[in-house]
Parts: sequence; C-alpha cells; structure tokens
Amino acid sequence: MELSIGWLYPNLMSTYGDRGNVICLQRRCEWRDIPVVVIPLDRTTEAEKIALVDLIVGGGAQDRQQEIVMRDLQGAKAETLREKLQQGTPGVFTCGSPQLLGHYYEPALGQRIEGLGLLDLVSKHPGINAARCIGNLVFEITAEPLATELKALWGDTPIAIGFENHGGRTYLDTVQPLGKVIQGYGNNGEDGTEGAFFHNAIATYSHGPLLPKNPFIADWLIKTALQNKYQTSIQLSKLENSLAYAARKAMLQNLGLRNLVTTRDEQ
Amino acid sequence: MKISDRVRLSIAVGIAKIVTNIVRSLKLGAASVLPGSISRRLHPRLLSLLFEQIKQGVILVVGTNGKTTTSLLLKTILENQGYKVTHNASGANLINGLTAALLADADITGKLDSDYAILEVDENVLPLVLKDCQPKYILGLNLFRDQLDRYGEVDTIAQRWGNAIATLPESTTIVLNADDPTLAYLGQNLKQRVIFFGLNEPELYLEAIPHAVDSIYCPSCGHLLDYQGVYLSHLGDYKCPSCGFAKSETAINSQEWSQILIGVYNKYNTIAAGLLALEIGIEKELIFDAIKNFKAAFGRAEELTIDNKHIRILLSKNPVGMNETIRAVKDIQQQGKASVTLLVLNDRIPDGTDVSWIWDTDTEQLVQQGGTLIVSGDRTYDMALRLQYSGEELEESARPFQLIIEEDLSSAINKALSLTSVEETLHILPTYSAMLEVREILVGRKIL
Repeated sequence: MELSIGWLYPNLMSTYGDRGNVICLQRRCEWRDIPVVVIPLDRTTEAEKIALVDLIVGGGAQDRQQEIVMRDLQGAKAETLREKLQQGTPGVFTCGSPQLLGHYYEPALGQRIEGLGLLDLVSKHPGINAARCIGNLVFEITAEPLATELKALWGDTPIAIGFENHGGRTYLDTVQPLGKVIQGYGNNGEDGTEGAFFHNAIATYSHGPLLPKNPFIADWLIKTALQNKYQTSIQLSKLENSLAYAARKAMLQNLGLRNLVTTRDEQ
Repeated sequence: MKISDRVRLSIAVGIAKIVTNIVRSLKLGAASVLPGSISRRLHPRLLSLLFEQIKQGVILVVGTNGKTTTSLLLKTILENQGYKVTHNASGANLINGLTAALLADADITGKLDSDYAILEVDENVLPLVLKDCQPKYILGLNLFRDQLDRYGEVDTIAQRWGNAIATLPESTTIVLNADDPTLAYLGQNLKQRVIFFGLNEPELYLEAIPHAVDSIYCPSCGHLLDYQGVYLSHLGDYKCPSCGFAKSETAINSQEWSQILIGVYNKYNTIAAGLLALEIGIEKELIFDAIKNFKAAFGRAEELTIDNKHIRILLSKNPVGMNETIRAVKDIQQQGKASVTLLVLNDRIPDGTDVSWIWDTDTEQLVQQGGTLIVSGDRTYDMALRLQYSGEELEESARPFQLIIEEDLSSAINKALSLTSVEETLHILPTYSAMLEVREILVGRKIL
C-alpha cells in the first residue's frame, strides 16, 4: 500500500504556509509506515503524470502567480485534473485554488481569469480599496457525506480551525458549501457559508495551515485516497494527537468559543 | 522657517517633551511612539520641519529584514567620525516612531543640530514618509514575504516604492541590493543615481532554493529566472533567459569585506552599511574598524550573559529570517557550542496575527540537528506542532531531539538556562513582541 500526493504548483501556490498541508499528509502516512511520495505538479509536468496521483493538494497564491498558473493549467492538463476530481480523487484546495476550480475569478485589477469550471462557484475581488477578509476562522463542516464520515473518524462534531486572508469573495451556486462559519468571514462574509465540497474535493479559504490543527480532515483524505486506489475499506491506525488538541483548545478559548472545546480537545 | 511655524513647532515639541517625561517617569515605556502621535496632531507639518533641519542629510533604510542592524552599524560608523546622528534606535519605524526619534533630539524650541538622521522605515510606510521628507540617501535591503495579514504582496510594495521614489530629485542616491531581483529591477528603472551592493562569493551558495521564496520570476517579463546560485531566500546570482534582465553590477567586492555578528544575512547588512558609508566619503579602513568592533542591536544576534550562562537572541519574525537564524544556530551546534534552543511564537499586531508562516520555514533543519527545543509564547502549541511535524518519528523516544513545552515565558527561559551548560550558548528565537518580552525578563527593563 502506498500513496502519491500531487502538489499543485509548489513554487507558485504556497504563499501562506499551505505547504503545511503537504507536510501533514506526508508525515501522517510515514508515521503509519505507509510509503508516500510527493509529486510536484508544475509547469513542466505532463498530463499523464497528473493522472497517476492519488490525492491532490493546492495552496494559495499571490495574484501574479495565480495568473501564471491559470495560463499553464490549460488543455490536456486541465482536462486530466477535471476528470480526476469528477471521478472522486480526494483533494484539499485552499484560497486561490478554489478560485481556480470555479467558473472564474475577477481580480481587483485586470481581466477576469477563467477557471476550470469544476465547482459551481464564482469569485470576485470587490476592488483594491475593499478590506481583505483577514483573521482566525472557525467553521463547522456540514457538507455530506463528509461531515458524517469525519464525525466517525473524530468522534465529535467536525469543527475546523484556521486562518483566512483573502481579497476575493466567493459565491456558491449549486455546489454544496463545505461548512458554516462560526467565527470569521468564510466565502464572502455575507451568507455564512465557508468553502465548497464536490465529490471528494475540499475547497476552503482556511489557511493555518488547515490540516495540522484539524488532523481528522488529513486522515479522511488519506483514508479516502487509499480506499479509492485499492477499492477496499481501509482502517487507519490511530495516531497520538495531543499537540493538535492543545493548539485547538488554546485557539478556541482565545476566541471566546470555550463551548466548542470538545471532549476530544480536552484529551 | 516662518515665525508662525517656529512658534507652533515650539508648542508641539514642548508638549511632546512633557509627554515623554510623563511616560518615562511613570515607567510606561521608552516613549518611542506616543509623543510623535500627539505632536503631529498639534502640527501637521511637524515632520517635514524637523527633517529640513538635518544638516548633511537624511538616510532612510528600508527592507523586510536587517533594517535595525544595518542602521545601527551605519550610525556607529558615522559617530566614529564625530558626526551627530539622529536615529530611531528603538526600531519604532512607523511615522509616529520617526517623529518621536527626531523630537527626542530637538531642543525645546524644536531646533535640531544633527548632521545626519538615519531612520529605519517600515516598508509599507516609505511612500508616506517621502511626502514629508527629501532624503539624501535611501538604502533598500531586501523584500521578503512578511506579515501578509497586514501588507500586500512583494510585487505591490516594490511598485509603490518605485512610484514614490520617482517623485524625488535626481540628486538622491539610492543604494540597493543587486542580489534581490525585485530591487535590482526597481533600481534599473530609476532616474536617480543608483548604486548596488551584493555578494560575489559562490562558496556561500545554498544547496537548493528554499521553499519560502517569492521572487524567482523575472520582475520584467515573468519568465522563471535562471540562478547560478542562491545566498539566501531569493537573493543570489541570476539572470532571465528570456528578456536578458540580470543582476546589476555591484559597486564593491564583498570578498574584501569581513562581517558583523553571525550569518550570511549579516554579511548583507555589513556591506549595505559599508557601501553607503563609502558613498558619504568615509575611508574604507575606518569602516572596517567599526565593523570589527560592532555590538548588536537589541534582539538581533544580541549576546547577553545571565547567571554565567551565555545567551544569543536571534529575532525570527518571518520565514526568511527564521531560516537564516536556524542556519546560524545549526552551524554553532555542529561546532558543539550549543544544544538548547528556545522558540517563542507570539501573534500580536507587531508579529502579525497569522502564524501560518512557521510552516514555510525549514524547522526540519533544526530538528535534525538534535538537542533540546523549548517552545513558548502566545502560540506555544502551534510551534510545538510545527516541530512535531518536522520530525520523521512521532514517538518521543525515537526523536533525535527533546521537545519541551512551557507556555509561561519566564518558566521557559529558566528551564532553558538551567539546561544550558556554561560552555554553551543558549539560542532564543523570538518573534518581535516575544523578543521584547524575553529581553524584559532577562534584563528587567522595557524597551518599548
């Protein structure tokens, strides 16, 4: 049993510590003795290589870098990525990446950038003078069947904790939101939704990075990827999570959300 | 100066000085910001009236990392020559901090008799300062990713610098880091006199470009830059294979220069201050003397001895800065002169409220080196988690390093000191506000 993680444009799309998601997935495999490889999916990568990965991670980007990515992710490469996600390859896409997966992104300045059109959502920047959405972000994951599966893994309501920092606002159409905002702005600061969930792709504005402090999401991604790959039910061995619990508890207390500290976090 | 200006200036300065005395006598801090804020309300042209009086000229030092150390070295070089220098020594580098520094050296009527003002300026504030000030020199050190929760992106900042500098007279001298593509490009497009410093020491090249890098793309055409070698982050010897953009020629040969403190980043700080001092007309030998005898600014590779234990504080406030301090600490550990490192992570406004940047640093290097790692600060557990994920083994017994978690900073420092032997140096890697706290605990006095 082994896992290959495809990392979208590591040099262009990893502005806010999103590399932590890759590190987290990689280590949680290694700590379980599951062989793991991380494959950078960048401008030199052929579409055939994208087809081989079991799990996909994409991070945030500055506007200029995002444009370079959008220009590169065309044709066969775009088609392969689209197909994979439609077939249920799990992935976690942060900030700029969901904008990339939606219909389009309208930056503060310049032309609308077309996305892959995979997620039924659009993203718009309200203008250079509009305030960015910045701060700690806490949300409950409500998308199904993800929420039920996470609950089974975590033993409690899946509350995700992260940090958001985005100028663009995202508006969902038919795609399911990933969750509902408890603290912070989420997709647009208006409708209380955060992120989107499509097949097994998790799209979110939550940096932090997302996975180390929410290890149940990391384990869900690994489990789902392995189940898809080997077409059999997988039980991951339990890992010790006490530092993640402590970090979660400290943040929830700090935000005055003491009531959300679960029995899990107390361990 | 008009009489009316003189009178109003005098009132503003007088009140600012009273505020300073109150703040200091109540031991509220060193009064490095508040007097500036109050007096600027009393006199909106205050800053430019103060700037105009500096006899030889104003030197502004900008960049993400190294401002405080570089300014201090330059100040030392100038003071050794007998010049009187005004300087924002406390590192308060927003408008109110600059105003307070100038006020501190003015007499009660607002008169200043400094030869030079060396002011470190926050990278985001430079355009604002240039509205009130016509500096004689601007020294641009580098632009890295720092506090993106507060600031824009590196490209945007460089563009805003360029626009602001374009309004200055052509007699202004701009000293820039040629090894930083963003700054080299900026300099190549200015009409002012521009001179460059940079390294030409391939033996200092890193093995690979670190992850925490922003500008590996050509600022002119967007093509991937071709690096012959990297000194730190994206600073190196490069050219663009597409449009021909390349590192500018440097005005000095870095190989002839020794350096202050430790780490490659301080070599940059040394040659930056050195080149500007040469430009002012100070003899090389005299500059070399100042380099040899230099003492660190607070928290910047500053060394202290407490209870017979040797301590070095290495401010680590962003991925590039922290990667470089880790590189320096690792070097010292390999020589067997250190084994305990204390990391203090805060998330207050001066630190940036987003701590995700710690995942862009290569803490794996520190963990591989082994020894004892102690974590503390507002975000103790976030740092602990980062270190846990830096290790190949999850089992504590299988790790090459010992991880100690101590939320209370005083206890963490005591623990770190007790684990450090008298032959070794304890390294403390704090964020900005954490550095002030660490120093307060160690020295028993507030700086800001």
